Amino acid sequence: MATREVFESRWQAAALLLPTVLVSVVFLYVPAVRAFELSLFEVGFGTGEVDFVGLENYRALLTSSEYHLSVLLTVLFAVAVVVGVMSFSLLVSFLIHEVEVGKGLYLVSAIWPYALPPAVAGFVFFFLLHPDLGVLTRAIEPPYPALGLLERPFEALGVDVDVTGPLEAVGPDVDWFSSGPQAFALVTVVAIWKQVGYNVIFMSASMNNIPGSLTETARLDGVGRLERLLRIYVPIMSPTLAFLAIMNTIYAFFGTFAFIDVMTDGGPAGATNILIFDLYRDALQNFEFGTASAKSVVLFLVVGVLMYVQFRVTEEYAYYGG
Amino acid sequence: MARITLENVRKEYGDVVAVRGIDLEVPDGSFVVVVGPSGCGKSTTLRLVAGLESVTDGDVRKDGESLVGVEPKDRDVAMVFQNYALYPHMTAERNMTFGAGSATDFDDAEIERRVADAAELLDIADLLDRKPEALSGGERQRVALGRAIIRDPDVFLMDEPLSNLDAKLRIRMRAELAKLHEELRTTTVYVTHDQTEAMTLGDEVVVMNDGRIQQVDSPQRLYDYPANRFVAEFIGDPAMNALEVAVESGADGARAAHPGFRLPLPDGDGLDAAVDSRAVLGVRPEDLSLAGADTDADAAIEATVTVTEPLGDSLLLECRVGDDRLKTQASPRSDVRSGDTVALTPDPDRLHLFDVEAGTALYHSAEGATAPDDGRTTRSPPATSEE
Ligand SMILES: Nc1ncnc2c1ncn2[C@@H]1O[C@H](COP(=O)(O)OP(=O)(O)O)[C@@H](O)[C@H]1O
Ligand SMILES: [Mg+2]
Repeated sequence: MATREVFESRWQAAALLLPTVLVSVVFLYVPAVRAFELSLFEVGFGTGEVDFVGLENYRALLTSSEYHLSVLLTVLFAVAVVVGVMSFSLLVSFLIHEVEVGKGLYLVSAIWPYALPPAVAGFVFFFLLHPDLGVLTRAIEPPYPALGLLERPFEALGVDVDVTGPLEAVGPDVDWFSSGPQAFALVTVVAIWKQVGYNVIFMSASMNNIPGSLTETARLDGVGRLERLLRIYVPIMSPTLAFLAIMNTIYAFFGTFAFIDVMTDGGPAGATNILIFDLYRDALQNFEFGTASAKSVVLFLVVGVLMYVQFRVTEEYAYYGG
Repeated sequence: MARITLENVRKEYGDVVAVRGIDLEVPDGSFVVVVGPSGCGKSTTLRLVAGLESVTDGDVRKDGESLVGVEPKDRDVAMVFQNYALYPHMTAERNMTFGAGSATDFDDAEIERRVADAAELLDIADLLDRKPEALSGGERQRVALGRAIIRDPDVFLMDEPLSNLDAKLRIRMRAELAKLHEELRTTTVYVTHDQTEAMTLGDEVVVMNDGRIQQVDSPQRLYDYPANRFVAEFIGDPAMNALEVAVESGADGARAAHPGFRLPLPDGDGLDAAVDSRAVLGVRPEDLSLAGADTDADAAIEATVTVTEPLGDSLLLECRVGDDRLKTQASPRSDVRSGDTVALTPDPDRLHLFDVEAGTALYHSAEGATAPDDGRTTRSPPATSEE
């Protein structure tokens, strides 16, 4: 390979690289190394006293059932968020792609939640779905006043029809302040809702890049819409989808902290205590820096392994041809 | 097999009128080429037949039955696109079979047999398990043709299928397409902007301009008896010369008078009506010959050569006659130079007169303009007053 002599000297090249290298070292590598170092110590609360404990922090994590639950929850949460976001966004992008009028309007409506800060989104849903006060809660929970209207015409006829009664028993009781599964479902849904916009931007762009003549050929052949989406569009979009899978994974692990913090505080009973929130609490509420550092190292490894797997899968299946 | 009929078809995109009322009959088993400059509405016309666009007005019929409102998939037409439209993630074979399942009621064995047949016909049997990125342009277009063929549709619709290929390959594929049609005899509508392609491929050629059909005729008759100036100048390369003249009558018959010449016009239909008015004289460069010393100076055009372009097989001369320009072809090794004055004699049987404003043909000096001996009638729409 021929190297082009752009710079007058190596020193000049190095000088130009320096800012990037400096920022990376100061803000990424040093903290990472420090975190690993810290994970080998026990830090006394208040005193700032530091005792070397070796791998004791890790051993403690290995045996903590609370931590195991947190890892399990997080993986479950990440899978639900990534799969949920991507399938929902794919559907939305496809619908926008197919619609003939008002594309721009639909696109904007799909994207705007992305512009909302996570904490704000968290508060919005906190109140929308508040077990006692929430507007949406009333729509989900029985009695259903809107459905009750259906009974009116029958009443007028003198026939006694009870629509809402039987539903009373099967309708959900919104109570995520004390129900773990409900709280978990809530933060998952909100996390998905918030990330759909980001995905729709990329998916729409990618879908619009598919030549119209492919769609037209499929239409002339009578290939159904769903088949067209899944067997023509998705394979062609696979590089974008792979990229999004990675971005969404990172989001699920790291970007969802604010929802937990604002809405559930990790509860009830640890049901939404995902790793990033758990380690935040250890570090900044309990001031157990040693344990928190060990947890962040574990988190790093988990995400690192996931990224590796995703890259390998992508290499295998994503179509990058021209 | 099917016959396609377009009846007063109109297509508007908002303010843009792409097709302004077209009547066309594509007979069963024929190969009809639609040709015209870019933007004249050729693709739109084809897409209206395919059902990819819906007509604003008028009717599209297949074997007499209206296709308006019929879904593209139910029209039993296959389309071949300029950009091949192959699915990039599928092998050539998969590309051919993918749609066939939904488009036809062939079973898998039948589809397999048909792929093998098409592959042999198109000489792509060795390429079947390659993806499009590993195929050349010509090979891709063969695969796209194969995909259309195995469906055995009633009609092939081809939108500039050869325009992305290089010149050599284009000529070869052109011949192969003609052969393919010989063999399959499937009704084909073929769109191109290339008049040579149109002339060589079409049983019948439809010349379009500005959303209207200018003329429908056999290639030779388009060339010999253009219905108007547009067709005259679009068909043929280099284009027909057009010079404004006064048509005068004299003792020895009519003449076309121009500051640079006074050409005798042989008797013919329409000539009498044109006498004593202004008209545009049309004469093709290849119908002008450099006169020898013994020519009747009275029947020649005196011209000054301004540019010479050696083409190898001929020498293209650009000349000036009065204030007008004129092109002609001389023998390749003649020693004409720019600045020379030459005398050009037109073939008296190859002269045309056109209306100055409307551009419609008034007169062709050759016999047969109105009563072609092959029984065809020269069809051209009346000069429309619309817009
Ligand atoms: N989808 C469309 N929306 C608006 N205008 C269009 C559309 N498709 C074609 N046109 C216009 O219609 C005219 C004819 O287009 P087209 O049929 O593609 O021409 P051709 O194939 O002869 O080059 C052009 O002026 C073009 O700009
Ligand atoms: Mg076109």
